[in-house]
Amino acid sequence: MPVIVGFVPTKEGRAALDAAVTEARSRGSRLLVVNASTGAASADNRYVDDEELTALRAELDASGLDYEISHAVHKKDPAEIIVELAEETHADLIVIGVRRRTPVGKLLLGSQAQKVLLDAECPVLAVKAPR
Amino acid sequence: MSDQVQKRGEGRSEYGVSLLLLALGIVAIVDALGLIERGARGFMTARTVPMFVGGLLILCAVLLAVDIARGGRGEQEEGEDVDLSGGADWRTVALLAAAFAFNAAFIDRLGWPITGAVMFFGSAYALGNRHYVRLAVISVALSLVTWYGFFLGLGVKLPAGLLDGIL
Amino acid sequence: MDGLNALLDGMSAALTPMNLLYAFFGVLLGTAIGVLPGIGPAMAIALLLPLTYTLPVEQAIIMFAGLYYGGMYGGSTTSILLNTPGESASVMTAIEGNKMAKAGRGAAALSTAAIGSFVAGTIATFCLALLAPQVVKVAIQLGDPDYLAVMLFAFVAVTTVLGSSKIRGFASLGLGVWIGLIGIDPTSGQQRLTFGIDQLSDGIDVVVVAVAVFAMGEALWIAAHLRRAPARITPIKGRWMTREDLSRSWKPWLRGTVIGFPFGAIPAGGAEIPTFLSYISERKLSKKPEEFGHGAIEGVAGPEATNNASAAGSLVPLLTLGIPTTATAAVMILAFQTYGIQPGPRLFQDQGPLVWTLIASLLIGNAMLLLLNLPMAGLWAKLLLIPRPYLYAGILMFASLGAYAANGSPFDLWLLLFIGGLGFAMRRFGLPVVPLIVGLILAPRAEVFMRRALQISDGHLSGLVNTTFSKVVYVLIALLIVAPFIWSRVRGRRTPPEGPVGPSSPTTGADDARVHANTEGA
Repeated sequence: MPVIVGFVPTKEGRAALDAAVTEARSRGSRLLVVNASTGAASADNRYVDDEELTALRAELDASGLDYEISHAVHKKDPAEIIVELAEETHADLIVIGVRRRTPVGKLLLGSQAQKVLLDAECPVLAVKAPR
Repeated sequence: MSDQVQKRGEGRSEYGVSLLLLALGIVAIVDALGLIERGARGFMTARTVPMFVGGLLILCAVLLAVDIARGGRGEQEEGEDVDLSGGADWRTVALLAAAFAFNAAFIDRLGWPITGAVMFFGSAYALGNRHYVRLAVISVALSLVTWYGFFLGLGVKLPAGLLDGIL
Repeated sequence: MDGLNALLDGMSAALTPMNLLYAFFGVLLGTAIGVLPGIGPAMAIALLLPLTYTLPVEQAIIMFAGLYYGGMYGGSTTSILLNTPGESASVMTAIEGNKMAKAGRGAAALSTAAIGSFVAGTIATFCLALLAPQVVKVAIQLGDPDYLAVMLFAFVAVTTVLGSSKIRGFASLGLGVWIGLIGIDPTSGQQRLTFGIDQLSDGIDVVVVAVAVFAMGEALWIAAHLRRAPARITPIKGRWMTREDLSRSWKPWLRGTVIGFPFGAIPAGGAEIPTFLSYISERKLSKKPEEFGHGAIEGVAGPEATNNASAAGSLVPLLTLGIPTTATAAVMILAFQTYGIQPGPRLFQDQGPLVWTLIASLLIGNAMLLLLNLPMAGLWAKLLLIPRPYLYAGILMFASLGAYAANGSPFDLWLLLFIGGLGFAMRRFGLPVVPLIVGLILAPRAEVFMRRALQISDGHLSGLVNTTFSKVVYVLIALLIVAPFIWSRVRGRRTPPEGPVGPSSPTTGADDARVHANTEGA
């Protein structure tokens, strides 16, 4: 049963990815990395570009884990995609990054993280970026 | 193989432009022949300009057809928000046109506050918005604001339709 | 020096609170639409034309001019901070600008773009103030055959230079002229191409056509090909402007002004060609040519100065001859016409104060733009986070408002949809839209000049070429048509047969971007 991580190219996203790699390794399970965007706006800084995608692949290759990256524009919210994927694959764990509670952080990242926390059937690990 | 078929299909639709130009050119000339000469002097008559325009369009049609036959293809317009790698998304275009046509058909009967809101809702839906409640609120607010804005700010009274007397 | 005196008078008129407010509103809106993808200054002004029903002419024109300049600034912000190609006028900026931003020098790129735009815009606006009265002095003496020749020159220039295919340019022009025929023949009073439809007997409102082609057609086209993968906004990093940046920038700014202004003043398709020329000349003149392609500041400074200078340059033929050279200028002419004012040589006599207030407010708006853009570039970029469904639905809404308000008739809405479909097809099949609108605006006037010239000559065709001026212009037109063929022959011989022939061969990144840059001001 895989470990799913919602990845965003920020320090919170990094922290989540690192934690997810550690978890997947200790459980000996597959790692599914999700990076999605609704594509509603012209710009979305949480959607990785090709350069970052290559870097991410290289990093995961080096980790030796059995992994898969889902990188796509979809009408659904990233949170919905993560939760649905977790149900489909009967995931053991979802890892997400959350911001420290600043007013801005709550506004920007809050809704997606909250949706995952509320809707997911499996345990959710919320990781903060190191100070 | 399929690539080749697609290319041939594209070429055929390009001839459509040529046909449109040809048709418009002929229409201009036929229409010009129906004009009556009045006090014409020398070169310039009532028919001259429309005939000339018709001739120009027909010439364009022929030259364009030659260009296409020799492999010339129109360069699709690029833009910041445009991605030409895939095909055209006809469903979205049709939905947008339908939303717009609804407004054109019913603006006088139902009034702008209703048709405008339906059009905004419909086109945002067509473009992929799925936050229905938020969208509905924005649509209604926007059509009301523009109705009052045009009435109070510009002195243009858009049709109030069903809501006549309420607004 | 009468230009400068008049400019001072205009300055005092422009400095009233209301005029300042509208200038501010214009530059604010202009920056926003410059940043937003899919909306250009031409579309924005077309959508704002209903404002002309109540706004005093001065304030409307001041606002639209501010919008024109503002669009150029906003465009540079996107092209530097976004990893996608921008509007045609900023394509060259994007090549080096985005590389600089990615290398942590975004702040420097934004500063050289904004300050360069300011410097070029200011110098070019002064050039406009000095040059325009001189052009008027010549233009006022021109007769009917001369005007006809100038308009034909504009037709040929705008169709042969814009876009990649001349025949498609002429086809677009023909469509515009055809639409212009609809309605009553001014001399004989007979109906042309009305097909017995009552609503067509007054002709099609040019405003409806402009909104249809620039707003409806564009919105439908983008909707059909909406880019799904969102772009990344590169964070603004680094120092705003070091001494080295300044010393590397000031010459490109001035060279850009010199290149941009005259190109704007001739009907050669706006900022697309001059920004390209500026870019390649900076690459050639640079002491560090190896930096080009990796974030050379000269490659941002030059083209950005150029596109602002060309915006000012395009106002010369617009105000003195009534001839639009860009999409935005064409829509500006419509704005004048809704007030019953015909831009042309008599504009300076009849509406002197209006013109000088406009030119003065351009200087003011330019200063506002510098203050508005430099410190707040990051904030403007946040506009890119607006969900696009709202944006394009809003464009459709305002397009239908503008068309309906023109005559209060749903017929115009159907026309809007129909001609919008034409605009869509033109974008699909590579027909540039600017010739259509130029043809539509100028053809009815050209017809009048031709009739008058022929009346004087009693119907003899010689009446069209009986002045030296008109003869010279016709020779220029002939050159414009023939020269490219000769040029491609010469080039064709020099290029090895297996290599790609012609200017559209994508040999470098710059040439490649140039080819795709045929979306002027939509």
